[in-house]
Amino acid sequence: MIFANVLSQLPIALPAISYKAVAPELVLFGGALLILLVSATVGKRELPGLYRAIALVAALAEGGFSGYQLYLAQGAKASLAVAGAIAYDGFSAFAGIVVAAILLLAILIGPGFIKRIAGDGPEFLVLMLISAMGATVMAQGEDLIVIFIGLEILSIALYVMVGYRIGDGLAREAAFKYFILGGFSSAIFLYGIALVYGATGTTNLAKIGAFLALNVLTHDGVLLFGLALLLLGFGFKVSAVPFHLWSPDVYQGAPTSVTGYMAAMAKVGAFAALIRVFDIAFAGQIVQWRPIVVGLAILSMVFGALFALRQRELKKILAYSSINHAGFILLGVYAGTAAAISNTLFYLIAYAVIVVGTFGLVSIVQDSIGVSEGSCSLDQLRGLARSRPALATVTAIMVLAQAGAPFTTGFLAKFSIIVSVVEIREYWVAVVAMLSAAIAVAFYLRIVLAMFRGEPEEVEGERVLAIQGAATEAPARRQALAWIGVSLSLVFTVGFGIFPQPLLDLAARAHIVG
Amino acid sequence: MAQYLPIVIMLVLGGVFAAGSFIGSGLLAPKRPHRAKLAPYECGIVPRSEPPERFPVRFFLVAMIFIIFDIEIIFLYPFAAAAGELGTFGVIEVAGFALVVFIAFAYLVANGALSWGPSRKQSYRVVEERLASKVPTGVRGE
Repeated sequence: MIFANVLSQLPIALPAISYKAVAPELVLFGGALLILLVSATVGKRELPGLYRAIALVAALAEGGFSGYQLYLAQGAKASLAVAGAIAYDGFSAFAGIVVAAILLLAILIGPGFIKRIAGDGPEFLVLMLISAMGATVMAQGEDLIVIFIGLEILSIALYVMVGYRIGDGLAREAAFKYFILGGFSSAIFLYGIALVYGATGTTNLAKIGAFLALNVLTHDGVLLFGLALLLLGFGFKVSAVPFHLWSPDVYQGAPTSVTGYMAAMAKVGAFAALIRVFDIAFAGQIVQWRPIVVGLAILSMVFGALFALRQRELKKILAYSSINHAGFILLGVYAGTAAAISNTLFYLIAYAVIVVGTFGLVSIVQDSIGVSEGSCSLDQLRGLARSRPALATVTAIMVLAQAGAPFTTGFLAKFSIIVSVVEIREYWVAVVAMLSAAIAVAFYLRIVLAMFRGEPEEVEGERVLAIQGAATEAPARRQALAWIGVSLSLVFTVGFGIFPQPLLDLAARAHIVG
Repeated sequence: MAQYLPIVIMLVLGGVFAAGSFIGSGLLAPKRPHRAKLAPYECGIVPRSEPPERFPVRFFLVAMIFIIFDIEIIFLYPFAAAAGELGTFGVIEVAGFALVVFIAFAYLVANGALSWGPSRKQSYRVVEERLASKVPTGVRGE
């Protein structure tokens, strides 16, 4: 009754919903719903081909639309939509393209391997599409609450995907750890939003920026504490040191194809939102947040590289490597200039494609030696170059691309971030970054050496049998699509490593509205 | 600070009421305890088995169906109250929302959330096991 009375007295201001602005989300979510609907109505639960086709179409449509949007955003077409809560600009369009690229590769690589753990049901692809939608919401969010909702959509789907190997103790531990710690960090993030709202009177990023530009807070303690909590929430999602403790265990316990997807997608969503919040809305507070961000970046780069040196577990090494990458991307946020932001976007797309491809290769390796998607020690790689030379070579190229070898996008990404740091005249930070990259090369080389040294026959007889067994068991069909995905990421990494200009131009177009 | 006074008074009143209820019932109520009344989940019946048991997962699926409809109703009420003001726009948005929620429901039902009782395959297996266990060992050896 009260509701009815209140509402009947007020004229309701309907928000003008621009469906064009939220089209990427609609396409991804629509794809997920369609897969669920098909699985519920057709009567047969496992239709892997059809599900995969729907998911691929959704990913391609999202990527195509984002590309078109990026093309449009060159002019003055960037704008805010849905009552100013959604940004519709080149930045979000580029993030949408990255999301589509990750989805495309992960849909090609993942389901074939997940099938051995959990069958061909629709859930894996549905969760993938929904979490990708969360990442696009984060990239488009112009309101802290919208960003939070995107964060939750992304995270909750990922919690489930991490726990896919529920029979395995390590996987259960990983899923539980990720869920509990992720819940904590979300709550802290929300508290940060509340404090920022308390200080500025709005959660809308454009209005926050305008408010802070016009007013000087005599007591800015609440605002700064809120900023610190927001940074903590983002730091957890991108696994920056000292909020990284979950990531090695989760990367190890999750199915390998999920690990690759998660490493890429969570970082894209979180970094896109981080840039929009800190480099745009709180640009005036740069003096206050810069020391914290540079601290996180340096800790992540240095400790990521150092901890990885002592690991014997391949997926944990790659987890520390992704912490190291997170440090580099944070440096782009730290620099904060327009050029630095487009360099960060370039780093994000380069990193995302490389990391999905690398974990896809780890999946193929694990599949060939007869272990399913679980942990994988460096010893298991021994002699891979003898038994599967092509696989070992491609893996070596992708791992070296992560290290930043020349003629790959990995090198250009690291180089352009360091250039951005030098441009704001913080030379010591650039030196630390280069040193950490040099240390990191050591553990990347360890992976490569493990593959190219030793003979497969030296090890116990069981594994040799496993290799032969897997070869006769026709893994070729299972691996065929995964190989397509991996080849695409290899072509992207090396192709744009040699001819980077188109991609750099594209990243330079990605301006942020406001 | 004066504007917070009503809240403080409300807090104090709440505390006084809660404490008063406990003290009052402790002083006034007749006390004739027996086993059933002292049990943690008091319903007048002495529990026969230990409470922590394994639930079939179907209970959780039913709980999820409940949540689905719960959320739908929560949003339908305010919409219904303002349906006239919202016009066609509101109808389209709510229809989209209901569709999404309905697909989740269809998925749950298709995965057997509402099909209770043992599945056919399982019941056959149970029967076979029972038959096998009743057969004397000497006969089975032949």
